[in-house]
Amino acid sequence: MTQSVVVTLLVLTIIKAVPIIYAALGGVISERSGVINIGLEGMMVAGAFSSVVISFYLSPALGSTFGPLAGLVVGVAAGALIGWILGIAATKFKVDQIVAGIGINLICTGGAAYGLVLVFNQPGASAQVPALGGPNLPLFDLHAGAVALLAVAFVCALGLSWLIYKTPWGLRVQACGENPYAVKSAGLDPLKARLLAVTISGALAGLGGAFLSIGELNIYSDGMTAGRGFIALAAVIFGRWTPWGATGAAIFFGFFEALQYVLQGHVTWLPADAMQALPYVAALVALAGITGRVRAPAADGVPF
Amino acid sequence: MRPALRVLSGPAGTLLLVVVMMSVVMIVAGSTPWAGFGALFGGALGGPHELAETLAQTTALLFPALGICLAFRAGLFNIGAEGQLLLGGLAAGALGANFTGPGWLAVPAILAAGIVGGGLWGALAGWMKSRFNANEIISTLMLNYVAISIANYLVAGPLKSPLATGAETAPLPASSWLPALIPDTRLTIALLIAIAIAAILQFVFARTVFGYELRALGEAPEAARRNHVDINRLTWMAMGLSGAIAGLGGAAIVAGELHRFNTQLSPGYGFTAIAVALVGDLHPLWICLAAFGFGILEAGGLAMQASAGVPKDAIHLIEGIIILVLAAKRFVSTRVEVPAV
Repeated sequence: MTQSVVVTLLVLTIIKAVPIIYAALGGVISERSGVINIGLEGMMVAGAFSSVVISFYLSPALGSTFGPLAGLVVGVAAGALIGWILGIAATKFKVDQIVAGIGINLICTGGAAYGLVLVFNQPGASAQVPALGGPNLPLFDLHAGAVALLAVAFVCALGLSWLIYKTPWGLRVQACGENPYAVKSAGLDPLKARLLAVTISGALAGLGGAFLSIGELNIYSDGMTAGRGFIALAAVIFGRWTPWGATGAAIFFGFFEALQYVLQGHVTWLPADAMQALPYVAALVALAGITGRVRAPAADGVPF
Repeated sequence: MRPALRVLSGPAGTLLLVVVMMSVVMIVAGSTPWAGFGALFGGALGGPHELAETLAQTTALLFPALGICLAFRAGLFNIGAEGQLLLGGLAAGALGANFTGPGWLAVPAILAAGIVGGGLWGALAGWMKSRFNANEIISTLMLNYVAISIANYLVAGPLKSPLATGAETAPLPASSWLPALIPDTRLTIALLIAIAIAAILQFVFARTVFGYELRALGEAPEAARRNHVDINRLTWMAMGLSGAIAGLGGAAIVAGELHRFNTQLSPGYGFTAIAVALVGDLHPLWICLAAFGFGILEAGGLAMQASAGVPKDAIHLIEGIIILVLAAKRFVSTRVEVPAV
């Protein structure tokens, strides 16, 4: 190891933050439209699992460059599909969004565990599959494809910011989250905007999941998302429902996840179990620390 | 609604849906419904020992499901029953391994430790909600991970039995075990305790001021506030009680089945229990029935996996679909056009 600890910590912070950034951006667009997306965790699982499965089946035919890319595309699509299902439940069927989200999470984690046995014939974890390729970049110790996904996260934040604040559709989404009846009165369909917003939300979370499984690593294992979808929800609140705020909050949480890896080699007085709890404690403290200073979209979680 | 549709929108429809979906996952896994259901029901209900195991699983699910029911009724989405159950079990195991008193004192003390352990963990989330307005869905889930870290640390370090090879507490003396209902099975009197709690909860919801306030908080928080219900107090009490019931479940597993604490206490009872509570329509007595249904799936699932080759995890997939469908059905059956405010 030739890098200084500080550089390692900074780089690792970005790597650990990126899946949370994707999911948190998904949370922002969904909640801005008025749908609380408790299912982010499940959508990450869907993205992580399906991208591994596709890479496993298609890499022999497409090669180790395009196989994982196909996996990435399908991972995003799988997240979008799950997002669409939650969207239909939240718009057409007006279900309790939180209950539906809990259901989505069970479907995805259970479905992935079931699928693991069907596809790889073993419970718990998949076989190793080709991951996103390219030369190994020294600073990140990751392949170029994964590093590209790091950059794409910030492009997505930029794009989402533009989408929400600068486009007519974005303004409509904001209005849906504040007062869907006003949108309806203006002759527009708030449910359509919500459905699309939640679908995009799922796609982003799926991308975050795919980064975990075929970007940072090359396998899927049960529980690999480790509550990141919920940490992302905390990031949405901590970031005050704005794309850049949520991105900043995700980096904050990513820092604590990175910190445990750096500390484990250097600090002996803090038990490893306490270090593992760091990101979750950080999310709890952040959640409690912003009391009274934030306001959710007025119609967030309210069926129309 | 046509009569046939009405029947399908009730419990019969749900049951039919489960059977159809189970059949699909069995066929996809290369088995047949006959073999799959045969193994499932054989493994769950095929004899006294199988039935006892099913009821033991029912018990393990019933405690956290009742806790979740209490919180959900108050409009508090406690998805941290897993962590509350774990810390309840940890407190029970820590006390039980070191308690030297007679059995009639030890058993209640151990169960009380579980209540306190789980209750404090639940109340923490409730306090964060009432004091800092911290979203309880996120906080309870985060607290699950923190609870696992605490338990891992304690059983590998300070509480580790010097005699044990793995990470676990010292065993409980046989005098402080929960009595078994059927000898040589994991079914203990904990089942009766759980059913009693269901009955008490039902009474509390229906007949007490506290229960009325809980339901008011869940169904019309603004009305509750205007009627001078102390919402802050109610919030941490509801979360504390919810955690206490889940923690009691953890203690019952420690004192009744494992006779020590280790972190393999729960294979996710706290999460499956959310499905149990929702399928039971947040009604304590229906939840008892739902817990038995899920107990069959949990106990029979292993047999289904072993002898029919259908992965047990398919059950969680189906649970999720049931939750979604039930949530949607509620809309279909109460479909009324409501004018905008």
